[in-house]
Amino acid sequence: MAAPLLELHDLKTQFFTPEGVVKAVDGVSLELHAGETLGIVGESGSGKSVTALSVMRLQRPGKIVGGEVRFKGRDLTKLSEVEMREIRGQEIAMIFQDPMTSLNPVFRTGWQVGEPVRLHQGWDKARALGVAVSMLNRVGIPAPEKRARDYPHQFSGGMRQRAMIAMGLTTTPKVLIADEPTTALDVTIQAQILDLLRQVNREFGTATILITHNLGVVAGMCERVMVMYAGRIVESGPTVDVFAHPKHPYTWSLLRSIPRLDEERHEPLKPIEGLPPDLINLPSGCAFHPRCSFKMERCSRDVPTLTRVGDTQLAACWVTQSGVELKGA
Amino acid sequence: MITPLPIDVPAVPSPAAPGQPARSYWQQATTRLRRNRIGVASGVVLLFFVLVALTSPLLAAIFTHTDPRSIDLLNTFLPPLSPHHILGTDDLGRDELTRMFYGAQVSMGIGFLAVGVSLTIGAGVGLVAGYYGGLIDGLLMRFVDIILAVPAIFLFILMSILFKPNTITLALIIASVGWGSIARLVRGEVLSVRTRDFMVATSSLGASDLRLILRHLLPNVLHVLIVFGSLYLGQVVLIEAALDFLGLGISPATPSWGNMLTNSETFFFHSSWLVIWPGLTIFITVLAANLFGNAIRDAFDPRLR
Amino acid sequence: MLAKYLLRRVLATIPVVIGVTLITFLLMHVTAGSYIPGVDLNPNLKPEDVEAIKRYLGLDRPLYIQYTTWLVGITHGDFGRSMIDGSLVSSHIFDRLPATLELTVTAILIGILISIPLGITGALRRGSKIDHALTAMSVGGFAIPAFWLGLLLILVFSVQFEAWGLPFLPSGGVITPGTGGGDLFDRLVHLIMPATVLSFVYLSIWSRFTRSSMLEVLSQDYVRTARAKGMSERRVVYLHALRNAVIPLVTLVGLELPALVSGALVVEVVFSWPGIGKLLYERALQTDYTTVLGITTFAALLVVGGNLLADVLYALLDPRIRYA
Repeated sequence: MAAPLLELHDLKTQFFTPEGVVKAVDGVSLELHAGETLGIVGESGSGKSVTALSVMRLQRPGKIVGGEVRFKGRDLTKLSEVEMREIRGQEIAMIFQDPMTSLNPVFRTGWQVGEPVRLHQGWDKARALGVAVSMLNRVGIPAPEKRARDYPHQFSGGMRQRAMIAMGLTTTPKVLIADEPTTALDVTIQAQILDLLRQVNREFGTATILITHNLGVVAGMCERVMVMYAGRIVESGPTVDVFAHPKHPYTWSLLRSIPRLDEERHEPLKPIEGLPPDLINLPSGCAFHPRCSFKMERCSRDVPTLTRVGDTQLAACWVTQSGVELKGA
Repeated sequence: MITPLPIDVPAVPSPAAPGQPARSYWQQATTRLRRNRIGVASGVVLLFFVLVALTSPLLAAIFTHTDPRSIDLLNTFLPPLSPHHILGTDDLGRDELTRMFYGAQVSMGIGFLAVGVSLTIGAGVGLVAGYYGGLIDGLLMRFVDIILAVPAIFLFILMSILFKPNTITLALIIASVGWGSIARLVRGEVLSVRTRDFMVATSSLGASDLRLILRHLLPNVLHVLIVFGSLYLGQVVLIEAALDFLGLGISPATPSWGNMLTNSETFFFHSSWLVIWPGLTIFITVLAANLFGNAIRDAFDPRLR
Repeated sequence: MLAKYLLRRVLATIPVVIGVTLITFLLMHVTAGSYIPGVDLNPNLKPEDVEAIKRYLGLDRPLYIQYTTWLVGITHGDFGRSMIDGSLVSSHIFDRLPATLELTVTAILIGILISIPLGITGALRRGSKIDHALTAMSVGGFAIPAFWLGLLLILVFSVQFEAWGLPFLPSGGVITPGTGGGDLFDRLVHLIMPATVLSFVYLSIWSRFTRSSMLEVLSQDYVRTARAKGMSERRVVYLHALRNAVIPLVTLVGLELPALVSGALVVEVVFSWPGIGKLLYERALQTDYTTVLGITTFAALLVVGGNLLADVLYALLDPRIRYA
């Protein structure tokens, strides 16, 4: 298999606040190959967004305190700011959650969409606008020449997100990171945007990282998935496998807490007990153990390492690593 | 020169952090204020000037042994540190320090009176306009727009030549325009508070309009009034000084820091201190009022730094 | 869109115009209503003559008709007559307005051009020593009495410099008497102190305001998007952020216009600047009520006009207004 396009090795990002040190990303490692689609799932505060921002070195005011981010072999954490800027927007593009607020309200949309090629490839305004219009067309915005002259507030939410995607693609980046791209949108529009992302991945071959808290989104879009909890990866593997037989109690509980149309409604939904962890004072050992129905004695002592459990999955759990099957109760 | 101060209005109080005993909003604010050294210092300075104003005859009797009006044409323009005249004398031989003491009476008196009247009227209008909305709100705010459209000093000058003001009437003249900005501010606060659940709940319990306004709305806009009041105090002192300086405020027989500066440029060469003392005092007073106002605002909502 | 927005703004000013003119009319009636200009000058006038003059001037008509005449007069630029010498207030205003505009507009420009860099610096270096210093200067600047500052500047840069043999600034007036006003440098040299004094207070306010506006904008999502596109921080700040941060400043300047005109009056008096403020002051000392009221009305209308201008500028800057 070819070398991964993007590799994270034990990445650690922390925020230094008056209340203490927030370990937002606490030792994350992952691999992304060219053209792959990877989903990162977790609740708010799990560190998924900060991981992505750290890749882009946009994590301020946080600090990357350890680990490596290797893109095409180079460690991005060691690059100068000037070198990093060449990567941002050109090789690795990122689009954000709320298209309402993520586009600058005082500049025309076409101008904003064309900005990356003007910046990175030195094109003049007319040429950049041409690319912008054609990209707006590719992402399914009707009447793109006219729309390029419109301002963001004149677009609907879905159209705006399409424009953001267009903006990320004009430089044909190798990696596209989408941070909760559908969360702020209507359900019907969500499906359209996910379709678009799939299409983009196929047509452009752009490796895509999709960050979300919504398992359904991941199911529809990503070949592989990583589950994060309290700044650490707790499980990863092919989406089909992880959803069919999760190897970490957190993933397992998440899947059980979602109502499913194809199941009989015999039992009440089971929400996960307890509260999300305090990232300043993480629990000892496995961060999930206070809320885990399977916990063993070791779980409160030692931090589990991410190891192979089953054929295709990795999980950071003493319980499943010792062979226990996760079954309902 | 009454600028509608673009102050950030403190937001609604946030609940106590977990693990701390629940303390009232006001208690928390007072503690924060006490810890703010600049705030405390400026408060002390203001208090100092208030005390000087209240006790000027006493201070004169103790320190300078003269009164602000005794003219002594043989001893004009004495420099500071002359015998019997610590800050020197002016063009008519009157003791400068005594006049400064008495000047505090004018500035502080007019300042607090104008602020008090403005806050009262402004809060009343703002509360009514914000609470009732609709036509009443429209009419009242239009009226405020009209008053605020005219440059204030122009109106003050007009009223001065009409009424030949003394301390009290001058304060009222200044307040007659000043309430406008406050009314707008209070109305804005009321609009944001009015729709909150506790208002609807209390109203549905059958509380009368007046009761709702006075006992429930007013306490929630009080912090806005206090912050604005302190900042406005500084503004009033400045305006009043300017009017006096122009000769259209308090007549020069009664000393005020402003009228002590009227025509003072003519004696700059030989008696520059006569230009410095009164102006410096005005500056320090207004500075203290501003800093104190900022400190109060920070005490009520530290997020706004 | 733009036209509708402007129309709404213009319509909104009508009640204010009516209100202002109504108040000044009533004040005029109260102070000088039955005063006939020139009566004192001619002791030979008989009571019937006075009545005739009254009727001629329309002073015996009912109040609402008098008000309407006043209002109509204003729309034609007639702001009444002096009760001291019968001269047209409008001709005085015409003479003196350019000086006031020169002073006020320059002060606004100085204020904006200095506040923006100061505000940006404060925002970018938030919490640093420079930021604290700038904030301290703002608080101080806001507390200085403008007339005192003017006096001190004159005393230092005009009087003292002359005494020390240094090149000194003139202490008053628009131009050096006798030069006819053609020399731009001469005008600038006269303008610099009064304009600086007038802008000083507003500098303090506006720079703090720009700072907080900038901080607010820098925390917006679209700034994060801009950084993610890989542009230099300079471009992020000066193109993407600043363009948004200055919009509320326009509104603020508009709101401060009445205070600015008030301040201009004081500066004009201190620097013998021949503007409408100084004119009002001179006439007030002569208890010429009608002129004072005429100028006040005009000044209020000037402010209203200025606010409209600010609204137009705001609409031009913010496409959300232009293409609502």
